[in-house]
Amino acid sequence: MKIITWFGTLTLDDGGKVVEWDMFSKDTDALAERLIQPKEADMDIPPAGFDIRAAAIECGFVASDDEYDNLLRDVSIRAAKKQISSGTPDMGIIQAVEALDDIDETANTLSERLAEWYGMYFPEVGLSSEPLARFVAKYGSRSNVSPDDRLYEKATSSMGAELTGLDEELVKGFAENICTLYDSRSRLEEYLVKSMETTAPNLVNIAGALIGARLVSMAGGLEKLARFPSSTIQVIGANRALFKHLRARAPSPKHGIIFNHPQIKNSPWWQRGKIARALAAKISLAVRMDVYSGGGLNESIKTELDAKIESIKATHPKPPKRESKGGSGKGKGEYKNKNKMQNKKAGGRR
Amino acid sequence: MAAKEVSSGVFEITERGGKQLATKNLVHGMSVYGEKLIEIEGCEYRIWNPKRSKLAAMVIKKFNIPIKRDSKVLYLGAASGTSVSHVSDIVSDGIVYAVEFSQRTMRDLIGLCDERPNIVPILADANRPQSYAHIVEEVDVIFQDVAQPNQSEIAAVNAKQFLKKDGHLLLSIKARSIDTAANPKKVFKDEVRKLENDFDVGFEVLDSRELMPFHEDHLGVMARVRN
Ligand SMILES: C[S@@+](CC[C@H](N)C(=O)[O-])C[C@H]1O[C@@H](n2cnc3c(N)ncnc32)[C@H](O)[C@@H]1O
Repeated sequence: MKIITWFGTLTLDDGGKVVEWDMFSKDTDALAERLIQPKEADMDIPPAGFDIRAAAIECGFVASDDEYDNLLRDVSIRAAKKQISSGTPDMGIIQAVEALDDIDETANTLSERLAEWYGMYFPEVGLSSEPLARFVAKYGSRSNVSPDDRLYEKATSSMGAELTGLDEELVKGFAENICTLYDSRSRLEEYLVKSMETTAPNLVNIAGALIGARLVSMAGGLEKLARFPSSTIQVIGANRALFKHLRARAPSPKHGIIFNHPQIKNSPWWQRGKIARALAAKISLAVRMDVYSGGGLNESIKTELDAKIESIKATHPKPPKRESKGGSGKGKGEYKNKNKMQNKKAGGRR
Repeated sequence: MAAKEVSSGVFEITERGGKQLATKNLVHGMSVYGEKLIEIEGCEYRIWNPKRSKLAAMVIKKFNIPIKRDSKVLYLGAASGTSVSHVSDIVSDGIVYAVEFSQRTMRDLIGLCDERPNIVPILADANRPQSYAHIVEEVDVIFQDVAQPNQSEIAAVNAKQFLKKDGHLLLSIKARSIDTAANPKKVFKDEVRKLENDFDVGFEVLDSRELMPFHEDHLGVMARVRN
């Protein structure tokens, strides 16, 4: 059996005796690096009961107990310093969320340009944003559309101009660039999901990784978010410029980012405010759990939230009788909001 | 003023009629977290407040603390090192492996380690002893204060990997981090039963007492591995 220790790798026989060893170089900094990343495939941890201190002395890595203590202490301190100075993970999350927004803004602008440009050659294409970019990057001119593509008919009968030569090259290259942006967008999302799961497992469990990441980013960090009262969490993200880039699925701006949560989005309008309040309260609890008590996932928050939402749905199955202003306004508000965005896009085009 | 040793390296200081717990300061002149320093017969002591430390409360509650001058201690949930610093005083010829997984508190803990010769800081999750098994040797005592719902499981996996055959586990169980709603007495009973039966290392609970009035709804437990 081959095992790894902080000072080297050891091969043990069946009786647990060291039969072969390979000591690392006795350099504090190098040892500290190894301490952090001990991973070496095919190696085990020392079996329970194995005396790693005795092994270090026996193999001549250190001469005495004192030297062992001192060196291990120095190396561990160095390693711990390295680990915390690599920055808190929420800094990475904030940057990634902002990068995501920058990409969205750029990708939207470029996609609109592509739609207009490619529209001259294939006005019937009926695609926009990412699907359009993928389509143009794949085929270029509509004359290349393969017969098994569902747009083949339209492509052959299109009234658009021919796209050839330099024009085709340019449009296609432009579309490829947009595709690269969408690729980086999905990598950013993957990154966010991963690092949110390790940094704030409870928040992810309640809000989802992406909404959670937005909350962290807008609050300016996980710890800051933990200090917000839940009433603030409920409206974080309202009126943020960010929303102007979000497509039609964006919430109406008077609501916070948590209105993107499926539990709210998929509920009828008269339940949404109440669910939002419950959700914000549990988010607040979850974040505090992540920041202050650290550690694992506490499923009870989620269970309580689900129960609370159940009860909201049970006690308010129907819209309130009296036509409340807020109620009827809500549907219209969303509609208006959509219009506004379309106008804006249209404006940009001219 | 007089200092009486009540447990290895732990002293009861009588001053103007009042009694206070203290440890001998390993690093002369340094107060770690604002605690008072007292000089008696050429020896400097650091006052140890049982309200700020589960371990100090366990001393006052007359646990037979198994930490000696040359002990090796694995301390899980070191936080910024308030109690760890006193353990470091006690094991002046030993070593403390201090595990903490919050980066923020680790920052303070490192400051403490820099000042003291016998603390090895480890930024790791106590749920995953395999992530520090390449660093930590077998120890005489595991002290655990992590305030997690799966406290007893954490104790079991660590004891399995690191605790000497005749070593001891000292555990602070916080009822509210296991079940916020349940009666603490019931939670304590369940946890002790778990320690005795649920894991592949079976513990023998030697002593268990509530840490009132110093820590509300906390149970101190001392156990060893059943052989
Ligand atoms: C109650 S505090 C400990 C206080 C400390 N014993 C003292 O008296 O100075 C609990 C600590 O355990 C840490 N902790 C919680 N879960 C942990 C885990 N799974 N691994 C490592 N540390 C953990 C927390 O970050 C927190 O700092």
